[in-house]
Amino acid sequence: MPLLEIDHVTRRFGGLVAVDDVSGAIAEGELVGLIGPNGAGKTTLFNVICGFTPPSSGEVRFAGELITGLKPWRICRRGIGRTFQNLRIFPNMTVFDNVSVGAVGRLGIGPVETLLRTRAARDRARDVSARTWQALERTELAPYAHLLAADLPYGRRKYLEIARALATSPRLLVLDEPAAGLNDTETAELARFIRTLHAEGLTILLVEHDMSLVMGICQRVMVLASGRKIADAPPAVVQQDPIVLEAYLGTEEPA
Amino acid sequence: MRGALAPLAVAAALFAILPMGLSMAGSGYLFRLADVTLIFCILSLSMQLITGVAGLLTLGHAAFYGIGAYAAAILSTRLGFDAGLTIPAAGLVSALFGVLIALPTMRLVSIYFAVATLGLGEMIYVTLLNWVSFTRGPLGIGDIPPLRPFGFDLSSPLGSYFLLAALAALCLLVVHRIAHSYYGNALRALREDDQCADAMGLPVVRLKIEVFAIATFLAGIAGALWAHTTGYVNPADFRFAESILILAMVVVGGLGSIPGAIVGAALLILLPEALRAIGEVRILAVGLIMFLCILFLPKGLFGEVAALDLVRRQFGAAWRGGSAARPLGWR
Repeated sequence: MPLLEIDHVTRRFGGLVAVDDVSGAIAEGELVGLIGPNGAGKTTLFNVICGFTPPSSGEVRFAGELITGLKPWRICRRGIGRTFQNLRIFPNMTVFDNVSVGAVGRLGIGPVETLLRTRAARDRARDVSARTWQALERTELAPYAHLLAADLPYGRRKYLEIARALATSPRLLVLDEPAAGLNDTETAELARFIRTLHAEGLTILLVEHDMSLVMGICQRVMVLASGRKIADAPPAVVQQDPIVLEAYLGTEEPA
Repeated sequence: MRGALAPLAVAAALFAILPMGLSMAGSGYLFRLADVTLIFCILSLSMQLITGVAGLLTLGHAAFYGIGAYAAAILSTRLGFDAGLTIPAAGLVSALFGVLIALPTMRLVSIYFAVATLGLGEMIYVTLLNWVSFTRGPLGIGDIPPLRPFGFDLSSPLGSYFLLAALAALCLLVVHRIAHSYYGNALRALREDDQCADAMGLPVVRLKIEVFAIATFLAGIAGALWAHTTGYVNPADFRFAESILILAMVVVGGLGSIPGAIVGAALLILLPEALRAIGEVRILAVGLIMFLCILFLPKGLFGEVAALDLVRRQFGAAWRGGSAARPLGWR
């Protein structure tokens, strides 16, 4: 059974069909890329998976259970962690506190136990702290833990987003254009890091505009163009696919 | 030990030094001033939770203060309830209204939420003013019995002060535990970016309703204390201008900062009194001081970053673990 199943998902906005009857699956332990030119429907499909946009028709199943129609926070607690395309860190909170939000989100927290400082609440706080620290060490952000997120160097902020998503203990990590705004050296560093996460056993869906990162590290690539899935194959095959080349060349140079 | 020193200092100031000084001065006016300051500390602390910590700008906070005051006034004058019951009842009635108002409005985006609370606040004020058979309208309700909870006579200035100080300390403890915890981090995440908080697994609407319920409960308590210590309530005490005064306390003190809320409340209650000598110009002077505060200290007199750091270092609220050299997170 695949971990994530996208089953004939369509999303219309008025007359525009942003995602058109897309199906696909990701197995446990895979590192899959989702690419496509601007306006191909990547972000819409992403938002359908994470619960930000309900599909017009079709279903998304995670670990065999239907997740379409669930609120984003419920989908997160089922085990899908995400990052945002344009960094959405919490600027006026410290790096540590930013990441702790992911752990709190996964473990849940209530006002009454917090007020009474029950044993359960104290154990939970220790658990949140430990998970937060672990995510910070995994992303090498521990030395910056006390800084306000707004004071973090730009390149590190990407890792903060990933650390926050890791703190939700995801079974599937969905990265939305993580290489946006990074130079070549930083992109290569990020590629190594994503590979390490994958090697540690995490299932990853990488949504990218830029082909080079995806082709370099993914085992399989799904290609969207004008809302339709036009290819779903290993990178070497996709790169030779005339339909894919046309879709890309029709709008811009492949990177 | 280090974690116990600062809370002890706060308790000593509140329960020993201040009441001793006030008793030696022997002036009813100073006691009254201390009581009003404590009541407004509770109000600014509660608004700080909603506006500073959870980031929901509310312009109707005085209405919940009013609901609490009227609940205490009506329960004690008409039904003869004891102050030991009217105070928690006032909190519950206010929180009930808070939840009823929060349910439909918490899905609104920031500025619309602010306007909705403004409108609802005015509706509650107009109701207090015009429902003459129930609230006696503009005449207000008088002869509210002083504080004699469960037979203990605390109606003397010193007795009332001690009760108010104890309840204010309790409210401070509630706000401290909520704000200075991982629950508080979840609330701050809502303030920073509630869509993103949603994607991190936080039930955004539920958290907002919870924090609104807690804060309006505290505002209701403040209202009951006002009713019992003043002996008289009038709709004019709970107008929009009071909401703005409380908001000014929170902003001048520092949005998101718990000590800031106390500093702001103390400043904006005591400063106009201290400036009484200069006559009516004092309102202008207070306005000017507020203006300068915001201009030069936009983060407030006691900003959030400094406040969280203080609480972590001096109040033992931080997590200490891993290889972290500094206090981080919450205990």
